[in-house]
Amino acid sequence: MGQLKQVSELQTAADADARITPFPAPHRKSRVPWVAWLHRTFVVLMYLFMLSPLIFVVWLSFFKDAILYFPPSGYTLSWYHKAVTDSAFVNGFLTSLQVAIIASLCGVTLGVAASLGIIRYAFKGNNLVNTLLLSPLLVPGIVAGVAIYLAYLQVENLLDMDVVGTYGGLVLAHICLTIPWTVRLVSASMHGLDPSIVEAARNLGANSRVAFWRITLPMLRPAIVAATLFSFVVSFENLELSLSLVGPGRTTLPIAIMQYLEFNLDPTIAAVSAIQILLLGVVMLVTDRFVKLSQVV
Amino acid sequence: MAKVSIDRLKKTFGSAVAVSDFSLDIADGELVAFLGPSGCGKTTTLRMIAGFIEPTTGTIRIGDDDVTRMPVHKRNTGMVFQRYALFPHMTVSQNVLFGLEMHKVEPTERDKRMRTALDMVRMSSFHDRYPRQLSGGQQQRVAIARALAIQPRVFLLDEPLSNLDAKLRLEVREEIRDLQRNLGLTTIFVTHDQEEALAIADRMAIMYDGKIQQIGSPEELYERPDNLFVADFLGKMNFFEGKVSEAGKFITTSHQREIFIDGTERNVQKIGVRPERITLSAQPQGSNALTGVVDTAIYLGSILDVRVRLDSGEFVSAQLPNRGSEHAQHISEGARVHACFEPKDCVLFSE
Amino acid sequence: MDSADKNAPQGRRVGASLAFPASVMVLIVMLVPILMLFRYSFNVFDNGLMIEGFSLDSYLNFFSDPYYREVFLNTVYVAAVCTLLSLILGFPVAYFLAKSQSRYKSLFIILLVFPLMVGNVVRAAGWMIILGNAGFVNYFLQLFGFTDQPLQLMYTPFAVIVGTTGVVLPYFILTLQSVLEGIDFSVEEAAQSLGANFFVSFYRVVLPIAAPGVAAGTVLVFILCMNAYATPVLLGGTGITMMAPALYDQITKAANWPFGAALAVVLVVATLIMATLSNWFIHRRYVKTMVS
Repeated sequence: MGQLKQVSELQTAADADARITPFPAPHRKSRVPWVAWLHRTFVVLMYLFMLSPLIFVVWLSFFKDAILYFPPSGYTLSWYHKAVTDSAFVNGFLTSLQVAIIASLCGVTLGVAASLGIIRYAFKGNNLVNTLLLSPLLVPGIVAGVAIYLAYLQVENLLDMDVVGTYGGLVLAHICLTIPWTVRLVSASMHGLDPSIVEAARNLGANSRVAFWRITLPMLRPAIVAATLFSFVVSFENLELSLSLVGPGRTTLPIAIMQYLEFNLDPTIAAVSAIQILLLGVVMLVTDRFVKLSQVV
Repeated sequence: MAKVSIDRLKKTFGSAVAVSDFSLDIADGELVAFLGPSGCGKTTTLRMIAGFIEPTTGTIRIGDDDVTRMPVHKRNTGMVFQRYALFPHMTVSQNVLFGLEMHKVEPTERDKRMRTALDMVRMSSFHDRYPRQLSGGQQQRVAIARALAIQPRVFLLDEPLSNLDAKLRLEVREEIRDLQRNLGLTTIFVTHDQEEALAIADRMAIMYDGKIQQIGSPEELYERPDNLFVADFLGKMNFFEGKVSEAGKFITTSHQREIFIDGTERNVQKIGVRPERITLSAQPQGSNALTGVVDTAIYLGSILDVRVRLDSGEFVSAQLPNRGSEHAQHISEGARVHACFEPKDCVLFSE
Repeated sequence: MDSADKNAPQGRRVGASLAFPASVMVLIVMLVPILMLFRYSFNVFDNGLMIEGFSLDSYLNFFSDPYYREVFLNTVYVAAVCTLLSLILGFPVAYFLAKSQSRYKSLFIILLVFPLMVGNVVRAAGWMIILGNAGFVNYFLQLFGFTDQPLQLMYTPFAVIVGTTGVVLPYFILTLQSVLEGIDFSVEEAAQSLGANFFVSFYRVVLPIAAPGVAAGTVLVFILCMNAYATPVLLGGTGITMMAPALYDQITKAANWPFGAALAVVLVVATLIMATLSNWFIHRRYVKTMVS
C-alpha cells in the first residue's frame, strides 16, 4: 500500500513466522456507520440487562434504610455486619462451603479417573458410560432433588437410619453434580491434547508410565484445576437439588437466601447475596485463568 | 550413528494395505528422503521405524539390533514432528533435558549436552522461554535440539518443514542439512515436497500406494526414472506413446512420427522428454525436430515456459532459459517452430 | 507395543475400573432414584399414603384438571416467550462478539459468564429490587411523572418472563457465539460483492451457516426455562405457577408422591419432545448441505 518498511522490520517479520489464524474476521469500515453504532448500543443495553440485577443487589446492600426505598437516604456497611453475624446465614454459608469443598474434591477425583478410563482405554461401552456420567446435566434439578429425597426415605426405612437432611446425603447428591462437569472439562482437554507430544516423550526414552505422569497429567493440570473450581461454584450455588435434601438446622446459603426472600426484601439479604456474588465471582475469575469458561458453559 | 536395514516391511490395517514390500538399506551417515503424495505410506513407514506402529510382517534393524518389536522408548531414534510437539509445560531447556534424563545421562553431562544442543540450533538465549512464547521456526529448532541431544542412532524427521512459511522453510532446511552433515547423522526425512527432497537427500525413496517406486540419488531418479509415476512425479515430463519399429527408431501412435532413441530396447510403449531438454528453433536442429505452432509462452522471469501445439495434435512443454528478448524473438504465439531434442534426452518406458 | 496398550485386555480392565466408581455413584445416587420416581407416577395416592400398584390415575388427574393444565401451558408459554426473546436479543450480541477483534473481547465474555456463576437466587433478588412496588422501575417512572401509583410488576407473568430471560440470555449468547466464531465471515463479503445487500446476505448466507448454533442455543435455553424454579417462585409468587414449583410442592408439601412424580414425568418428557422437535425443525429448515 505504498508504505516503506525498514529492512530490519522485514527480517523480524519473517522471523515471527505466521501461525496462520483461520478466518481472521475481515475488518472494514461499515458502509452504514449508524447501523454499527446502533448495534453497539444494543449490545451495551443487553449487557446492562443481564448484569443489572447483580448491580442492584450490591447497591441495595449499602442502603441506609432498613426498608427498600428509592432514592436511598444514605449508605452504610452495617448490613454486612448483620449478615456475617446472623447465625442462620453463617450456618448456611459454612454448610455450603463445606459441602462444595468436599463435593468438588471427591467429584474431581472420581471424574478425572473416569475420564482417563474412558479416553485412554477404549473399553467396551465406554460411550455409554460417558453418557451416563454426563446425564445429571440433562435432568431438571428439582426432579433429581425430589427423586433423591424419596429414595433416601426408602433407604431410611430399609436401614433404619437417618439419611434425609443429613450432611452425607447432601454431599452424595452434590458429588453427582460435580462429576459431569469434571468429566466434561477434563475430557475436552484430553481430546485437545496433541498426541504427538506424548509420542515425542516416548521417542525420547520415556515409557508409558513416565510419559503419563510427566507429560500427560501436567498438561491436564489446568483442566483439573478448572474442574475443581468450577465444581465448587456449581455446588455452592445449587438450589434445586439441595432444596429437598436439607433438614432442620442445616441449610445451604442459597436456600437460606431464598427462604428469606420469600418474605422479605431488604438490605440485609442484599448484603448476604453480595457476599455470595463476591465469593463466587472471585472463584470464577481464578478459574478463567485455567480454562476458557465460555467454551465450557 | 548406525546403519538401518529394512527388510520387506508390510503394514495392513484390516484389509487396507498401507505399506507393502518395503526394503531399504541406509548407510551410516546417509540422509534418505521418503517422498511421495499424501497417503503413499511414507509416514506410516517412518512411524514403524520409530516404533509407534507395529509392522504386520518384515524386520527393521538399526545397527546390529533387530528393533522390529522393540518398544519406542528403547530404540534411541530421535524424532522431529511436523507440529513440533514441544512439551508446553516445560521451558526450552527443560524440553531438551527431558530426553537426557530418560537416557539416564549423568546430571553434569546432561547440562553440557543440553547447552551444546541449543547452541547448535542457535536457541541458547531462549533457554528459559516456554514454547508458546516462540515462533514456529524457533519451536522447530528447539525440537531439533531436543532430538539431537540424546545422540540418537537414527534421526527421523516427519515433514518438519510443512508448518513453516516459505522463507523459513529454506532456512531451516539448510540448517538441518548442515547439522546432519557435521554430525554424520543417519537420517530419514519424510516429505511431500519434491524440491525439499531433491535439495537435501543423498538418496530418495519415492513411494506411491504403499510401495517403493524407485530408490536412488536425486539425479538418478530425475534423469533415469524407472516408471511413469516417478517420471511424472518429479518435475514435468512430455510423453509420447507409440512403439519401436526398428532399433533406434520409435514411431508415435498419432501421425506416425519418427523419433530417434538410444539403445536397442524393443519393448517401449512410451518415451518421455524433459521440458528443459527441448529447444525451440525456427529451423530443424539435431536428431529429432518436431514441427508445431507456439500455443502459449509464459514469462516466468528466469525461464520461459512454452507450450507448443505439434502438427500431430499433441502438446509439448518446453522450458527455455531466459537469454534475453533477442534470443526469444521467434517464440511468440502462433509462430512456427521446431521442437528439437536428442536421442539421449529420451527416457524409455515399457508401460 | 506401547501404542497397542489401550486395546489390550489389561488396558480395557484398567479403563473400566477407573470409570467404575464415578459410574456407580451417578447410577445409584441419581439415576436409580429418578427411575424410581418415574415408577411412582404409576402408583396410587390414597388417604395421604402412596400405595404400590399400577394405575394411570395421576396422569389422568393431571390432564383433566384445568388448574394443572394451566400450570403446564403457563410453563410452555413462558419458556417459549423467553426462548424467543433470547433468540432475538441474543443473536445480535453473539454476532457482535464473534466478529469483535477488540482486545477487551475476553472481558466481554467473562462478563457473560459471571452472572451464570453467582446463582439464580441472587439474580432473582436483583429483579425483585428492580421490579418491586418500591423498586427501581417504579421509582424511575414516578420520578419522571409517567405514573402516580406504583405499577404492579412483581408476581406477574411479566416479571417471570423478564427474570427468566435475564437468566438464560447469557447461555444463549455463549452457545451461539462459540459457533459463530468458527464461521468465515468473508462469505458475507462474498455475498455482498455479488450484489446482496446486508439483510439478504445475512438471511441467505449467514443464518443458514449459523443455524446449528442457533438450534443448540434455543434448545438449551428452552430446557432451562421449562425447568426453572427459583425465578418463577420468587418473581411469580401466586401470580403464576409453573411446573417445577408445582411438582416440588406436590411431593414435599402435599406428600402426593404419585401425582408429583407424574408432573415430573410430564415435564421431562414434554421438554424432551419439544426440544427435539425444534432442533429437528431448525436443522431441516436452515441447515442445508453443510458437509464439513
